[in-house]
Amino acid sequence: MNDRSSHFPLSRRRLLTATSALAFAALVATAGVTPALGEDGARDGGDVVFLIDSLGDTWIPNNSAISSFQGHIWGHVTDKLLYVDADGKVSPWIAERWEQNDNATEFTLHLKSGVTFSDGSPLDASAVVANLDIWYAGRKSEGINPIGLFPKTYDHAEAIDATTVKVFFKKPTLGFIPTLGYHGSILISPKTIASPASAQADLSKTSGSGPYVVESWKEGDYVKLTKRKDYNWGPAAVGQTGPAHLDTITYKLVSEPSLRVAAVQSGQADVAYNASPQELESLKSEGLTVATPRYLGFVNGWAVNTKLAPYDDVKVRQALQAGINRQEIIDTVYTPDWKLATSFIQSNVPGATNQSALLAYNPEKAEKLLDEAGWKKGPGGIRVKDGKPLSLTLNSNPYLATSKSIDELISQQLGKIGWKVDIRAYDVVTFGQKVKYGGAGVPAYEVTRSFIDAGTVASILTNANNGENWFALDESDKTLNDLRDKIAGAGSIEARKPLLDELQKYVLDKGYFIPRTQIVQRIYVQSSKLKGEVYNGVAYASYYTATKSE
Amino acid sequence: MSKAYFNYAGKRLLQAIVVILLSYVFTFVVVSILPGDPITNVLNNPQNGFTPDEIKEIIAAQGLDKPIPVQLWNAFSGFVTGDLGLSMRTNRPVATLIAEVLPSTLVLASAGLAVALFLAAIIAYGTQFLPRRFGQGLLRGFPSLFLSVPNFVIGLVLIHLFGFQLGVFRVIEPDSFWATLFAAIALGIPISAQIAEVLIANLDHESGQDYAAVARGRGLGQMRLFVMHLLKPSSLPVITVVALTIGELLGGSLITETVFGRNGLGSLVQRSVSTQDLPVLQAVVSLAAVVFVVVNLIADLAYPLLDPRVKLLGTQQRRPTTADDSSLDISKAVTR
Repeated sequence: MNDRSSHFPLSRRRLLTATSALAFAALVATAGVTPALGEDGARDGGDVVFLIDSLGDTWIPNNSAISSFQGHIWGHVTDKLLYVDADGKVSPWIAERWEQNDNATEFTLHLKSGVTFSDGSPLDASAVVANLDIWYAGRKSEGINPIGLFPKTYDHAEAIDATTVKVFFKKPTLGFIPTLGYHGSILISPKTIASPASAQADLSKTSGSGPYVVESWKEGDYVKLTKRKDYNWGPAAVGQTGPAHLDTITYKLVSEPSLRVAAVQSGQADVAYNASPQELESLKSEGLTVATPRYLGFVNGWAVNTKLAPYDDVKVRQALQAGINRQEIIDTVYTPDWKLATSFIQSNVPGATNQSALLAYNPEKAEKLLDEAGWKKGPGGIRVKDGKPLSLTLNSNPYLATSKSIDELISQQLGKIGWKVDIRAYDVVTFGQKVKYGGAGVPAYEVTRSFIDAGTVASILTNANNGENWFALDESDKTLNDLRDKIAGAGSIEARKPLLDELQKYVLDKGYFIPRTQIVQRIYVQSSKLKGEVYNGVAYASYYTATKSE
Repeated sequence: MSKAYFNYAGKRLLQAIVVILLSYVFTFVVVSILPGDPITNVLNNPQNGFTPDEIKEIIAAQGLDKPIPVQLWNAFSGFVTGDLGLSMRTNRPVATLIAEVLPSTLVLASAGLAVALFLAAIIAYGTQFLPRRFGQGLLRGFPSLFLSVPNFVIGLVLIHLFGFQLGVFRVIEPDSFWATLFAAIALGIPISAQIAEVLIANLDHESGQDYAAVARGRGLGQMRLFVMHLLKPSSLPVITVVALTIGELLGGSLITETVFGRNGLGSLVQRSVSTQDLPVLQAVVSLAAVVFVVVNLIADLAYPLLDPRVKLLGTQQRRPTTADDSSLDISKAVTR
């Protein structure tokens, strides 16, 4: 065997020898070159390869800015009016300061001057008005959607002078300011906005004002960004306003998860997106950087359909709340990077309060509640009432890879106290068609979702202002509706805070929402050479501030 | 060429056009009755927060609320006049999307076919001329082995070994020469199996024929016997198999492209299927139908010219896949 392999010209040893010789030669050749230093002493230059599992669908900014894949690219190519950090703190960016009237129906934004889009046009007040208008209305007949989460209470905006914009709303809209730092609110050149959908869908024809511009791209393959040398208007909150350090960032699509991670391990790429949680510990021990930033939004959990028996009974819902061992989910399916849910919104959201007491695992309490509700243990340990078994159908969320494992674990936990749990797994398309909030036969809708501002939560939960009516309560719960109206009408954050606390307590106590864990939907496995990236409020990594050592 | 030949060719051509049109309508109907489309998917994703009224308005603006026959007619009339329309998912012209990915697939498919033919030829040659004790029998087992190992397994092994361990190619540059070669090997291995099987069967048959015995008796060397006498008659049925393999090359390229991270027709189909992007699927399926039908048409039309023993039976004509003489003259030639 040994004898034969030594005749094989591609032997591993020879290749390694040859490669290291080449690498050494390259090292010697570049030894004389000293890397340039940036203003703040950070090393300039370098190229980053980011392996991603998909590059979403269209690039029309309005239709795609919310996509969890396109968000990475938009974050480098475009700027926003305001910056929202991982703790939900809002700070200046393109808007240097802002004011609002007492009842939050009029806002004035003061813009930085001298900001330009990459097509040369200025980012001035009229450009901001053009953006606000298309975020609100889109051009539906042309295939340009409105941005769904932009406040529907928007009335109009006016350019007062080149750097001042006044925005008017039909009703109090406290959530407007945080909205400007989020997802879809990316500033695009008015020239791009005026162009038809098919032109906007070509990423290379879209101009933003971000620290990077699209050098080249191919649909379903890659997007290569190069840095804009004249960029000088970064958000102060990330500690840098000048040009980026890295020369290029290439987002390359590799759909096979093990290949993404293996490519980073072997040094062929710098970042692998979305590795499986079970692998993370061993990757860390290999010296790779693992980041699991949380986003601002709802925790992963269920919105319970109160129209569907037996979940119309508050005791059954409360039993469900107490019958789930949330710590076991983290220990079994996840790693310590994941955090226990303390409310139905993530703990980093401003306004989130700690409701852990309502979420404690207490199987005895759950059994007692079920007994009281008339569900008696029958043969096989399944509880029965009026001849019907106590059943729960779970539709695993196809957007979250670990969803089904959690469902299986919960099915065991609930099984012990007499629940019969069925698990269904659909693909994304079928899930979207069949599984809806409060849909017939959907007792619990699994939520994984970020939002703009805790103030919008109330109207999502109920049916106010085209709200989504998560618990199928319609107008039946007066307490919840009162809270909703008070929160929506609040003129200041301070006035709103106690109301939000009350809302969280109420929803969890009534068992309307059953949290599972705080959600981490974006997992980054990164080479240790790459440092200094920043994660914003929606957990996107920005490499604007990052550097790469040799 | 005879009048009978043109008659036959005309019928086959007509048949080919009907197949392409039927595949168009079939795809449209099947995809239309499935739930979902890219636009509705985006709108229904609660993360996007559209109101029911907005959803209705956008869907109507896209014409997706019209009855399926009307949608089919609109798409079909565009297709016939050469307008492939816009992709619902990306909003870019379907023709552009296909033009972007086609070269990569063509390179991979032809390299895969070359690998398959090369492997098949080597294996078939070996089964005839390798002395028994050096594994002639073993070689005959290769085609079944090749067929039974899924090509994504071969692909992953090649990537881990040559890509990551030995560093021969980089996975992030899947269109480089080495990456393409290994992808072609992964794609070509299973396909070589079928070609090798047919080639071996035919070589076995031909080498048992009298003329081969005579040639051997004259003291002709093995190589010369193989190349000058056995190869040509044995290769003819291979044309049929290769033509039938086109479908497999297209299908296999989907998996190979996914594993190797190549952006080709297969990956485009995969993305379009998962979102039910009808205009793109429609165009790709029609394109595949055209390629498959044309390749088979060429094989059908070329066969009678290459082998005069093949009789023309109009549309009933069948190309033989093994050199069984009975299949060559399905009696009654069409002579009008």
